[in-house]
Amino acid sequence: MRQYIIIIALILGWGGLAAQSITVTGTITDATTGEALIGASVIVVQPSSDGPVLGTITDFDGNYTIDAVPVGSQLRTSYTGYKTVEREVPASGRVDIALGSDVQALEEVVVIGYGTQQKRNVTGSVVTIDNETIDDLKPVKIEQALQGTVAGVNVTTQSGAPGAGLNIRIRGVSTNGQNAPLVIIDGYQGDLSTVNPTDIASITVLKDAQAAVYGTVGANGVILITTKTGEKNRPTQLSYNTYYGIQETSRELNLLNATEYGLLLNESYAGGGQSLPFPDASSLGVGTDWQDEVFQSAPMLSHDVTVSGGSDKTTYSISGSHLSQEGIIGGEKSNFERNTARLSLGVDLAEDLKLTTNVIYTNIDRDALSENGLGAVLFNALNAPPTLPLLDENGDFSLVPNTPGLGIEVINPAAQIANTFNDYDLNKLNGQVSLDWTALPGLTLTGRVGFNTSNSESRSFAKEVSYGGKVFDVNRSSVSQNGINDNNYSVDLYGTYQRSFADQHNLTATAGTTLFREVGNGLFATGFDVPNNDWEFADISLATGTSPEGVRDVGSYSYDERRLSYFGRVQYDFKERYFLTAMLRRDASTKFGPENRAALFPSFTAGWIASDESFFAENGPIDLLKFRVSYGILGNDQILNNGYIGSLDGEATYVFDGSLVNGTAIGALPNPSLQWEEAKKFNVGFDLGLLNYKLNVTADYFINTRDNLLISNIPVSGIVGTSAPGSAAPTVNAGAVRNKGLELAISYQQRFNKDLKLNLSYNITTLDNEVLEVNNGTGFIEGGAFGVGQLAPSRMEVGQPIGYFYGYQTDGIFQNAAEVEAHPSQIALGADAQPGDIRFVDVNGDGVIDPNDRTNLGDPIADMTMGFNFQLEYKRFDLLTYAFASLGGDIVRNYERALSDVNRLDYYLNRWTGEGTSNEVPRVTTAATSNGVFSDFYVEDASFLRLQSVQLGYTLPLNVGTARSSSLRLYVSGNNLLTLTDYKGFDPGASSGAPIGSGIDYGFYPIARTFIFGANLSL
Amino acid sequence: MSQKNIFFTLVLFLIGASACEDDFIGRSPLYSIDSENYFNSEADYQNALIGAYDLLQPTYLNVMVGEIASDNTLAGGESATDVIGIQQVDDMIHTPVNAQVRDIWNWMFAGVNRASYLLEFKDKTEFEGREQIIAEARFLRAYYNFELVKWFGPIPIKGDERFVLGDETSLPRASKSEVYASIVEDLTLAIPDLAVTAPQTGRVSRGAAQALLGKAYLYQEDFAAAATVLTEVIESGNFSLNDDFAEIFENTGENGPGAVFEVQYTDAEGAGFGCLQCSEGNVAVGFNGIRNHTGPTYDSGFSFNVPTEEAFNAFEPGDQRRDVAILDIDAWAEETGAGFGIGNEHTGYYNRKYIARKGDSNIGDQNLTNPNNYRAIRYADVLLMAAEALNATGNDEQARNYLNQVRRRAFGDENHDINAGGTALAEFIQQERRLELMGEGHRFFDLVRKGAAAGAIDGFTTGKNEVFPVPFEEIQFAGGNWDQNPGY
Repeated sequence: MRQYIIIIALILGWGGLAAQSITVTGTITDATTGEALIGASVIVVQPSSDGPVLGTITDFDGNYTIDAVPVGSQLRTSYTGYKTVEREVPASGRVDIALGSDVQALEEVVVIGYGTQQKRNVTGSVVTIDNETIDDLKPVKIEQALQGTVAGVNVTTQSGAPGAGLNIRIRGVSTNGQNAPLVIIDGYQGDLSTVNPTDIASITVLKDAQAAVYGTVGANGVILITTKTGEKNRPTQLSYNTYYGIQETSRELNLLNATEYGLLLNESYAGGGQSLPFPDASSLGVGTDWQDEVFQSAPMLSHDVTVSGGSDKTTYSISGSHLSQEGIIGGEKSNFERNTARLSLGVDLAEDLKLTTNVIYTNIDRDALSENGLGAVLFNALNAPPTLPLLDENGDFSLVPNTPGLGIEVINPAAQIANTFNDYDLNKLNGQVSLDWTALPGLTLTGRVGFNTSNSESRSFAKEVSYGGKVFDVNRSSVSQNGINDNNYSVDLYGTYQRSFADQHNLTATAGTTLFREVGNGLFATGFDVPNNDWEFADISLATGTSPEGVRDVGSYSYDERRLSYFGRVQYDFKERYFLTAMLRRDASTKFGPENRAALFPSFTAGWIASDESFFAENGPIDLLKFRVSYGILGNDQILNNGYIGSLDGEATYVFDGSLVNGTAIGALPNPSLQWEEAKKFNVGFDLGLLNYKLNVTADYFINTRDNLLISNIPVSGIVGTSAPGSAAPTVNAGAVRNKGLELAISYQQRFNKDLKLNLSYNITTLDNEVLEVNNGTGFIEGGAFGVGQLAPSRMEVGQPIGYFYGYQTDGIFQNAAEVEAHPSQIALGADAQPGDIRFVDVNGDGVIDPNDRTNLGDPIADMTMGFNFQLEYKRFDLLTYAFASLGGDIVRNYERALSDVNRLDYYLNRWTGEGTSNEVPRVTTAATSNGVFSDFYVEDASFLRLQSVQLGYTLPLNVGTARSSSLRLYVSGNNLLTLTDYKGFDPGASSGAPIGSGIDYGFYPIARTFIFGANLSL
Repeated sequence: MSQKNIFFTLVLFLIGASACEDDFIGRSPLYSIDSENYFNSEADYQNALIGAYDLLQPTYLNVMVGEIASDNTLAGGESATDVIGIQQVDDMIHTPVNAQVRDIWNWMFAGVNRASYLLEFKDKTEFEGREQIIAEARFLRAYYNFELVKWFGPIPIKGDERFVLGDETSLPRASKSEVYASIVEDLTLAIPDLAVTAPQTGRVSRGAAQALLGKAYLYQEDFAAAATVLTEVIESGNFSLNDDFAEIFENTGENGPGAVFEVQYTDAEGAGFGCLQCSEGNVAVGFNGIRNHTGPTYDSGFSFNVPTEEAFNAFEPGDQRRDVAILDIDAWAEETGAGFGIGNEHTGYYNRKYIARKGDSNIGDQNLTNPNNYRAIRYADVLLMAAEALNATGNDEQARNYLNQVRRRAFGDENHDINAGGTALAEFIQQERRLELMGEGHRFFDLVRKGAAAGAIDGFTTGKNEVFPVPFEEIQFAGGNWDQNPGY
């Protein structure tokens, strides 16, 4: 019905208006420089609703023309980054408008959770990224847009594989548990990893106690996503973006070629007193470069289209996107595809009742290869002997020989890729409906329902295959499938009351409740004996076999978690100069034990705009000086479900009468007093605007202390039986971690003249992490893995950074027998030292080298991260650069299989071969040595500087000056063109993200270097 | 609506919502059984009993490390740092920080606690056949406690209830004699309730409990009691020596006439290194296996637990047990053309009783899922234990009889019978135990209880290495409640 009214109104209105209308022309300029603004929007504000949208966009000289404008109507001019201005249309028909620059950036509204606030008035540590930055960076996943662009936010990739997860850490790693921030999409709890970046209008990061309004889920910081909506009184706009990219590996390691390898092995065998494996090594040539065999250049393609607009009472935005990306390893074997569709609608149901709704559909299809572990493709590529050809004489993949020197884990990586078959499909629908009712002047009541519902299916096929006696041999083909449903919904009800008293006292009060529930289940099954041993037939319906009797080929889980919250917030300011905000939230959650079911989280923020004081000169260089301080207590409830109830979910399987029988046993031990982690967040900072806001500085200092860390499977005495199959120790609140740091962000923007505009920004974050308490009896928690069968290399321990590396300190290489003799015995590490072996330091000075001599060898946490951004616009060209640096972190080289016959990196060419030859790299020998134990020989500096993006664009105006001004921008872009680092491995920036055990590199899938050609069309 | 009404409505709403809080948050977990509200039917008891049996499988580690600790074998493995904890035990340089020794502590206590869980609720629900289940749980607890006292000496014990957090700081380490007393009590209570023939293969029979009781007496040097109960097992006629010694250790020989008690393993289910105690296979078999073997009969493995030349040569000529217990890999390669690799401490010998055989399903990880049962208590062991107890109590004739039954099978004739008596006979019995039980994990503990370890094992320190250190972490958890074993 409504659309008919619009159409009728359109027809009638057009005719009616024409009689008393004139043509309006004018120029829109920058108030400070006087230069023309290109592409500014000029719209006639309709006095009556439902009329057609009348408006245009300025051309390249800043001119516009609009026909048939009623005299006396209001003309609204807006331009991104400028203040919106309204003027009445005079009879002359000439309206020139000079837009004030930049100041209004502070009048920009920022979402802060259950409401918005003018940026100028924000007193928490809050950073917003707009969609321009997202457009510039062209992230495949939105997390990438946060790397280097926001001080205090660190993003690490788990892998360079298409679609791989990324970890966001806001102000460091605060817990051994879940460190991921809370993500709120348009007001409801959501998931960042599936969002299409081009659907996002802005990202806001709440870094400090400002997030306390989210109580028990806000401790890791909060990321607020606002998706794109249409704008009122805007003609229909269509934008289409596409790009095509070629990806290649950003790095290949320098491995030995076949001749070097043969000579090294000869030396190694001779050193071990064995006969030479390659008597004629010089004839080996270069052999097989396994990296060349696994890396390839891979295409990626993206399309997205958005249509948006609005009338006086409605707005809409509709978009769709498609992305496909092949992997630089395995090509389509590590393919990622994402298709999305989105609908956003806003309707003013009545003068005081506004409805907004949006819904997003996402479809993801991902295939993956084995990564970052013993047996990962890259691990094999680095360790496979270069003397082995890719294919044998029959044209089959050659087998890595089954010898002690090559172990049973190293296989032909090309064969491994060919024999990997899996598929993951996700279908997801998420969205929200919200209703704002302005019940009284100043009082708005908001009701909102948000939901996520997703269904994923995975399938992996284990092909019957023999690698010649390796652990990856499969004797019986099988296909494993699973279906997982994850659903949640949240219901928000809150009221906001806003009032000013005596023109000086401004008060905003918000109170309400949120109910959140997530329910889901997963179903797993495996079928054996796949017909024809072929992926084409890999479905349980076709598989004919099952496991032997008693083995369960099926499994399932279900969950139902709930949270009920009440919150209140009072924001007060005096003369918009002195600000005070107080927040209180109460959460009750099924995550916690009956003894501690509900929690209260108080916080406050305060601010002072000093530059408004009279002692600041009115027209001085300082436009804004705001001091901020905040303190608050937040919670983290990201722990296992039902940790307070002892349930019979342990494993009880034995063999009676020759068949497996299954019984029951206790699972993880319960802890009835389980409660939330408590984050105490302190922040002090200032914002400074100078030179007409051309130069902006934001600085913050923070101290975050996380108490009552939920340590799951806390090491406890073994007498309680927690090592039984399927059992685990209880989750206990028993730790504390403190992060301190400094954040500084500086931006400078200058428009020199009509043709030249420059933006520079830089941010730096320092981070100092210290574990304050691990109250589990031993005083530490171990994690991670190094080599095979070695002690855990990572620890969380009081006085040290979380996840620091714990191993032996080295002191060069034993040069001769006398040095060995003079040093404490190293036999406890596995073998007596010989000249050429690593000398370990007797840290505790007890005269022997043993596990008690292990010490701090560094930690994976970067001391300092920084981002740099440079943008230049000259006439129709634009150039931009983003760079990111991470300094002071460490990484463990763990992709070298400690076996005699595997290939090695070329630093072994500088090994010890006799007295005085090397004090860094030990000898090679097949004899027993302790050189492979975890020591600082394997710990490297992970500092790096990466050029994330360089982009050059050219904009072609199309149909300038018409009601639908349009343009076409063509660009070329290079992502990750350059990484400067001393690290020997593939990617110093990759990390598993585990709080204890990250920074251990089994051969991370490196991030791709990508060359992109793209076009943005706006109609 | 007036301003007042709106606020009133809001307040009402909030009050209403908070009243629902208990209903909303107080939900029960989905599809979960509360461990404290169990044992309501016979099936519940049966299921919990399976859980108690489950921890027998991780005893593979006790067997393997126990053998490596002895003079029979070396650690081996890939390199000198391959499973450093095992390498250290081999060299008798182990310290309280030892992952494998800690595993043994943790896994055996897990077994104790699963048995105690059932015993804690033993009276909750009545049904026919309950006594049998309770008796099996008692046997299992005794079995696990026996392992613990062998390895660690004094350990905490708690009767028919589970250990709970905090016990480590309050319960003392009961003396060895107290631990043995509780083992004897559990077994004595269990024996009359156990069926002579176990209800299912793999479950414990009365004879198994009696044999374990005899062994417990033997370890306390209560020879008279040991002789009595072990003789009962022998005279029951329920067990006999297999004619073919070699057959015992093949798949077809499992649960045979000489099997008094066997830990059951299967190749039916996969396993991973992340949870070795979860494997349903015999992990030790893959560890012991021939490094990089290519050839008939055997699958490959990790070349741990390799017999020494001294052990190989300990067999007299004509002893058929030598080539069953130890594989001479060079001879094997020559005979069959098999290939093999050279690992750490390569001796040329493999622990043939427990190395991987071809023919199992090789489900992944195939090194962790070998189906070879561990012949925990063999009839020959019972005969030799009885002989030892009888010899110690002066009945040399019967002792010789039992000893020579074992020897006649080994040599296939009566020409190798032992005719000695007294301490000479005692020596022969111990030597026979070594040869008969080579590779089966008994040797170290036999040497220790006979006070002969220091003379046989390189690096063995008397007064220290008789037991293993309590894991470093446990001493810390105990917060001063427990002292470390002497010398560690």
